[in-house]
Order: sequence, then C-alpha cells, then structure tokens
Amino acid sequence: MIALLGLLDLSFLQDTWSFVQDNLDELAEGLRNTLKVSAIAIAGSFVIGLLLGAARAHRVPVVSQLAAVYVEVIRNTPILVQIFMLFFALPQVGIRLDAFTVAWLAVTIWGGAFNTENFRAGFEAVPLRYREAGAALGFKGISTFANITLPIGGRIALPSSINTYISVVKNTSLMYVIAYPELTTVALQINALTLQTIETFTVLALTYLIIVWSLSIVIRLLESHLALPEDSR
Amino acid sequence: MSLPDWVEPVARYIIEVGLANTLKLSAIALVGSSVIGITLGTLLTIRFLPTRALIRLYIEVWRGLPILITIFIVYFALPTVSPSLRFDALTAGAIALILWGSAQVAEATRGAVQSIPREQHEAASALGFGWVGRHAFVIMPQALRRLLPPVVGLLVNIIQNTTIVQVIGAPEILETAERQVERLTFEGDIHAIEIYGAIMVVFFCISFPLTRLAAYLEHRLT
Repeated sequence: MIALLGLLDLSFLQDTWSFVQDNLDELAEGLRNTLKVSAIAIAGSFVIGLLLGAARAHRVPVVSQLAAVYVEVIRNTPILVQIFMLFFALPQVGIRLDAFTVAWLAVTIWGGAFNTENFRAGFEAVPLRYREAGAALGFKGISTFANITLPIGGRIALPSSINTYISVVKNTSLMYVIAYPELTTVALQINALTLQTIETFTVLALTYLIIVWSLSIVIRLLESHLALPEDSR
Repeated sequence: MSLPDWVEPVARYIIEVGLANTLKLSAIALVGSSVIGITLGTLLTIRFLPTRALIRLYIEVWRGLPILITIFIVYFALPTVSPSLRFDALTAGAIALILWGSAQVAEATRGAVQSIPREQHEAASALGFGWVGRHAFVIMPQALRRLLPPVVGLLVNIIQNTTIVQVIGAPEILETAERQVERLTFEGDIHAIEIYGAIMVVFFCISFPLTRLAAYLEHRLT
C-alpha cells in the first residue's frame, strides 16, 4: 500500500504545487471573484427567502401568489437557461447587463427561489400552539412573527438554507459561459495557455471541494447545536 | 393567425435534434445513476471499513463538485491520462451526469436501506436468506418504495442539468437553441428572447408535473 502511494509519486504533488505558485495571482483573483459573487448571492437570497418565505407561510394576499409563481418558474427551469436569458437575450429589448451583474443576479434569483421554499417550510413547521401562546402573552401580528415564528422557524430552516447556499457557490462556476472571471473561467484560461490539464483540474476540483465540504461540516455542527429541545422526544 | 416564417425551421431543429438528445441523455443518466447508486448505497450499509471509506469518498467527491467541473474533468482531463478515455461530448456529458447522479442515489439508498427495521433483516436470516437474498427479496423491495420520491426529484434535476453539457458543445436542447439564435442573428433577425423563452416553457412543462409527482409520492409515504 505504502509502496503504491510512493509510486503515485511525489513529483505529481510537486508539479501541482509549482503550478499553483506559477499561477497564484490569477487563481487568487478567480477565487476572490467566486467568493465575492457567492457572498452577494447568499446575502441576497437570504433576504429574498426570509421575506417571501414569510409572505408564503402567512398567505399574504397577492405577494404570496406572485412568490409562488416566481418559485415554480425558477425551480422548474435550468439555471443555465436563466443565465442565457439574462445575458444573451435581454439585450434584444435594450437591457444590457455586464458579466458581473449577471453573475450575482442569476445566482441570487435562483437561490432566492429555493430559499423561499426553505423558509416557508420552516415557518409553517412552527406549531400553532406556540403562536397561540404568544397571542395569550399579548404579542400581536408582526411581533408574533419577530419573537416566535422567526426564531423557531428560522432555526428549522437553517440547515436546508445552507444547502441552498452550497448550491449557490457551485452554480457560480456556470458563469464560465458568460466569461465572468471567477475560478472556473480563470482555471480554464490557465489550462488553455499552459496545457497543464491534470494540475489545473486537481487545483480547481480541490478548491471547490474544500469550500463545499467546509459548509457541509457547518451544517452538521449547526444541526446538533440548533436542534429544538422537542425534537429529541 | 399563422406563425412567422422563421419559427418552423428553428422549432424543427430544436425538437428533432436538441429535445431528442436531451431526453436520451436524461434517460441514460437516470438509468445509470439508479443502477450504480442503488448498488453503491446498499454496499455502503455493510460494516467493512475499506469499501465504506471508498464509497463515501466517491459520494462526497461527485456530490461536492459543481457538475460543470465534472463534465470538464471527463471531457478534458481524462483523455490526457489515456487516449482510450477520449469521449464525444454527449458521452462525456452522460458519464459526468451519472457520476453526480449515482452519488445522489447512493446517499438516498443508504438512508432508505437503513430505515428498514432490523427485525426485517433478522426475520429474513431466520428464514435462511443469505446477505444477497435478504437484500434482493426482503430489504430492497421495501427500500425502493421509500427511494421513489427522491429519485423522481433527482430526475427533475437530471433533466435540468443536461443543459450544462451545452458548455462542451453537445447538441442538446440549449445548444441547438443557441445555434439557431446565432444563425438568425447573423441574418439580422434577432429572436433570442422568443427562443430561450420557449426553451424555458419546454423545461417547465416537463419539470412541473414531475416536481408535483415527487411531492405527492413523498406525501403518500408519510
């Protein structure tokens, strides 16, 4: 086994490491753009999910129906086609968005739709008797939501919403098709110049796996930490 | 009212080439993902560390990577390892989708198999079934029912994710649509919104009933 690992050669590791050093500036710039777009989209889809999820759970007239249409359209069409629509089709009616705008906008719209469902499910999972107890304590309307539904339902929705954020980060790689210089675009440009294909994809894959696995670990830690006392019945 | 002249050849090409390849790709990916995923997921329940570690690694890698990266790895990186691993774009796309899909199915299968009560295993053993017979005739028939809703959900994701194969130029529905948009634009006739809009409608008409079906199956099970 160890002999086999020896054959799997250290020279490959050395090659990969020198590949990273040779292209450090470009790779760092790509990673920075991936993280920037992801951060904007995660913040944006959190706000969208919270507001529309609350509107859906409390059946706010008009807003709730519009939110339902938004969620169904986005969830049932491929995100790549949505990106094509924003970047390649909208100029037809005079709306020209640059690659950076489309990059964060597309994943925000996509993540917002999935997050609306996450939060709706979380808020609807709050037992009615909690809200009744709140009413008995004198809470009204919006303060019931802020003090009872939000902290409890938000806790229930948190793991699934982080799963959505993981998908958001992965989906930023699709901005390759509009040549926005995030990690994937940059890596493929380096590959085209250096032809160090194995090294390129090793670095690219490992970077995504480290981000995704870290977020998965966060979910697992949160799930045990935030579990409601009642769940352990 | 008749349709404008540009519509007919565009629709014909997108449906006959693009939609046909998308459906074929989806079917292959679904079958491949299910067969490999159910096998790996069942093997994952065996308490033998090396196989468990390997299957766990397989699941976490192919679930963790963006599908686009997996497609690139299969299409660009594998041929540099060995020339015999050179595939055309549609085949490379199918392989990448199966790697990702089978990881999803494997994880769901593990959950479904482990959700079958231990008494079922013990009763089957008492009746003289070995490991294979026990799983084939007692455990899997029950686990497969619980697996149905997530697999229908996966089918929706597979169908939508086939569009990513467009990036390596495989002639699925989005690629054929793009070719038609570019041809018309070249002729000075821009119809990008209509064509990509129609593609969205096609996907919606396929996906929406399936997401409803997945929700219904989920509901019926609980």
